[in-house]
This record gives sequence, structure tokens and C-alpha cells, in this order.
Amino acid sequence: MRGRFWLPALLLLGACDTAPKVVFEDASITLPDDPNDLPEAPGREAVLENCTACHSPSTMLQQPRVPREKWEATVKKMIELYKAPVDPKAVPQIVDYMVEVQARQSDVSRETPK
Amino acid sequence: MSDPRLTRRALIAGAGTAALAAPVLGQKLGQFIDLGLPGGPSLRPLEPQFPGKGEMIVQRIRPPLLETPMEVFRQGIITPNDRFFVRWNWAMPTEVSAAKHRVAIGGAVKAPVSLTLDDIASAGETVEITAINQCAGNGRGLSEPRVTGTQWGNGAMGCAKWTGVRLKDVLAKAGLAEGAKRVRFAGLDVPMTTGAPQFIKSIPLDIAMRDDVLIAWGMNGEPLPLLHGFPLRIVVPGWFSTYWVKMLSTIEVLSSEDESHYVAETYRWPTGPVKPGDKDFATIPITAMPPRAFITSHADGAAVALGQPLVLEGIAFGGDAGLARVDLVGAGDGGGWEIPCTLGPDEGPYAFRRWSLTIPQVSDNLTQIGVRAINVNGVAQPAELVWNPSGYARGVIERISLRAQ
Repeated sequence: MRGRFWLPALLLLGACDTAPKVVFEDASITLPDDPNDLPEAPGREAVLENCTACHSPSTMLQQPRVPREKWEATVKKMIELYKAPVDPKAVPQIVDYMVEVQARQSDVSRETPK
Repeated sequence: MSDPRLTRRALIAGAGTAALAAPVLGQKLGQFIDLGLPGGPSLRPLEPQFPGKGEMIVQRIRPPLLETPMEVFRQGIITPNDRFFVRWNWAMPTEVSAAKHRVAIGGAVKAPVSLTLDDIASAGETVEITAINQCAGNGRGLSEPRVTGTQWGNGAMGCAKWTGVRLKDVLAKAGLAEGAKRVRFAGLDVPMTTGAPQFIKSIPLDIAMRDDVLIAWGMNGEPLPLLHGFPLRIVVPGWFSTYWVKMLSTIEVLSSEDESHYVAETYRWPTGPVKPGDKDFATIPITAMPPRAFITSHADGAAVALGQPLVLEGIAFGGDAGLARVDLVGAGDGGGWEIPCTLGPDEGPYAFRRWSLTIPQVSDNLTQIGVRAINVNGVAQPAELVWNPSGYARGVIERISLRAQ
């Protein structure tokens, strides 16, 4: 990552008014790709098409198990509040998928070695 | 990407590419860490690595949510930049031109201005403050009953030395107009969907005018990394990081209450006790941090030597006021005993502070012991979680059990 600034010694010495306190340089970064994918289950395509542009699969899979109504409310919130361009026909498929995937998740934390 | 907003077509195209490139879930993710989230899923990958970062708990890759492993807090009261937690609500720009960057100040001001980085840096005296930056949702994943949202363990916090100028000195460049009430900030991050609310946050004028509320460019003696808001971010010591807007590009002085989404509709918590399923309760914005303390010397379930002395160590903070004391407390409602801990050097009211305690001889298992911080205002950590539906402002006494053997 680039991006440096300098605190010139002048500042520390309390120097002249015209000396800049810091020198800002351009910064850029290359973010990693998301290596995760979603497990196979009915509705997977609907989730890929409607959700994954904003949400890493990892985020969805890390949520605590919640009832179907909560997933329905969550998808509704994404559409109404966050203006996610979700195909209305895909909503039940998305909800089905999340409920199914969560049902399959036994407490993985206790079963996978550290 | 010239336009980060997504159309439905772009969403589909993006998803398709991701699907083709991605291996099967769980494969080749290498190391995991167990955050001990009740009921799971509790494992989080420590990959992929992000530029400029060391080992971090990857809560989300895009936009990045990176949590600091608790082991980092053993090392000192300053959290290094490469281990500091990262949180973005919307997609962050990956490139910022220093020369072209401007901060626009408008709204209820005498004269709107557009300032360069040099204008900002020379707006007043350079100030450095050591302060904790903590996500309002830190520890959400430990809530019981569980709530949705980013499932943080307790590592969505860090303490850094922030260098910048006072916000009030920068506001003076535009001059406050009569009736100024709040100051609202926006950064370069913009919603990924057209029409969604931008991540903008405001603070009351009396907070904005505080001597220690800064527009910072330095973090632990380095320029702010892009992941932490290069070139400028707001610093509000004692308040949750949701107000510490990153990549600051707009300051808007409001003469009315803030009706925008991230102030009026979210980042709020109930005014009184609520239960899961309760609806239509009154809420207020989540603002000042409560005191917290953590044992960093031992993990939950660790073995300790029977019959030997035991040194417990950790960190604590007072929240929006200095730390007064830390006590080791027994199970439940204190368990009938408390032992005062020795506090380390005081680096200011908003910094982490070390604590330690030597138990002369371990005579039995130490079950559900905790550390309780009390700040100078007399606010103490409660023994029971103040549950709220968004999992904000966790401040309950954190507990571990140690096996004597």
C-alpha cells in the first residue's frame, strides 16, 4: 500500500508559518477477492444473482440461526431501505436458501479443529 | 470502477464472475479462529490477507470487516495499525488523490468553503490524542439471545494515537451561522445501490466544539491507511466509532435535528429494557461508550497451576470518562467477592489502560471469574447483559473459567 506523509522536523521545532505541517501523498490499495462460494441448495442462484454483489457469502453464512420470518424481514429491509434491486420472484427462493443452509449448519465451531 | 453504484445487470454480472472464480466453501481457507459465539457459527477465517494488515479475523471481505484477535491486546495499550479493526458500511474507494481531495463545508455556515488537505492541516494547532475507537456493535456475536448483524467477537476495538487539527478550527474557516445545531459528516464511500442511504453521521454542536474532537490525518505516527479512512477521519474520543467518519469529504452544519437514516433510523438503542420480539419502543442514538475490561493473559478454559501463584493481566477503559478502578469479581452477581486490580500507566481518559492482579496461590478452579471496570463517573459494568435487538454497546462483565491442575 502506498500513502505516506512526513512530519518534517521543522514542525517539531515549531518552525515558520509557511512550512506545511504534513505532506500528503496519493494512496491506493488493491483489495483481495472473496474466495468463498455458497453451498449447493435450492435457491442458490437467486442468492448469487441478488445478494452477493453487496454481501460476501461469508457474511451470510456467519449469521446466527434465525427463523424464516427474520430472513423474510431482512430481505424486505434490503429491498425497501437499502434499495437492493432484488427480483420480487426471487425473494421466496432467497429465504428458502438461507433457512435451508442454516438448518444444515450444526455448530461447526465445536466440530472443526482449531 | 468509475461508478460504484450497481445496476441490476451489474449485480448479476459481478455475481457470475465471483461464482466462477470461487472454490467450494470452506476449502483452502487455511487457518480459522473460534470466537466462542454462543450457538455458532463461531469459526472465522484469518484469510485472505489485506494490504497493510497482519493477521486479522476476516468477518467480511467486501466491503471489508476485519476484527482484531484478542491476543493483540496483550501486547500493549496501542493497537498497531496493521492489527487495527476495519469496518466499512458501503464500498470504500481504493484510490484517493491527495492533491485533488477537497473537504466541502456547507449548510448553516456564514460562507461555504472547499478546503484542500493543506488548508485543513494548517487550520489550527496540531493535536495528538490517544483514544479508543470501538464499533458500536463490538461483541454483538456474544449476545444471548443472538441478534443479526456483523457477528463481532470483542475485537472490533483498538486504541491509537490520532494526529490532526480540532474540528472547531476547521469549522471556523466557514464560520457557524445562527441556529447551528449539529455537524454532519460524509466520506467518499457511497452506497452500492442507487437510492440507498449514504453513510452520513452527525454529532451535536457542543460535542463538535470540544477541544479533543479532531479531523485526523495521522494514526500512530503514520498517515491514515486507506482502510482506516485516508486522508482524513473524524475522531470523537469516548464515542463509538460510527461517528468517526472516514475519508472525510463533506461537513454539513445542520440547524435542525438529523433525520438521515444512520442517525434517525439505525445505530439507535432502546431507552429502557426490552425483550426479544418487543416492538415500537422508544430509541435514542448510540453515542458514548460504557466502561469495559478484558482478561488478556488467559483464554477461557485455560489451565493454571494448582498451588502456585497466578498473575492475571488485561486491559480496561472507562468509555466516555477516565477509568477509576478494575476489580476481579466472582461468578454471578459478584459472587460475594471482589479483588481490586493494580492499574498500569494512565495514557489519558480515552485510552486503554493495563491492569494486573496476582493471586498468591491457586487453590481451586476459577469458575466464571470476570473483571469489572468502573469509570470516574461511577459507571460500573453490569453483571447482566443489557440486551438490545441490534447488539449495541456491549458492556457486560466478561467472564472466563480457568482449570486448576
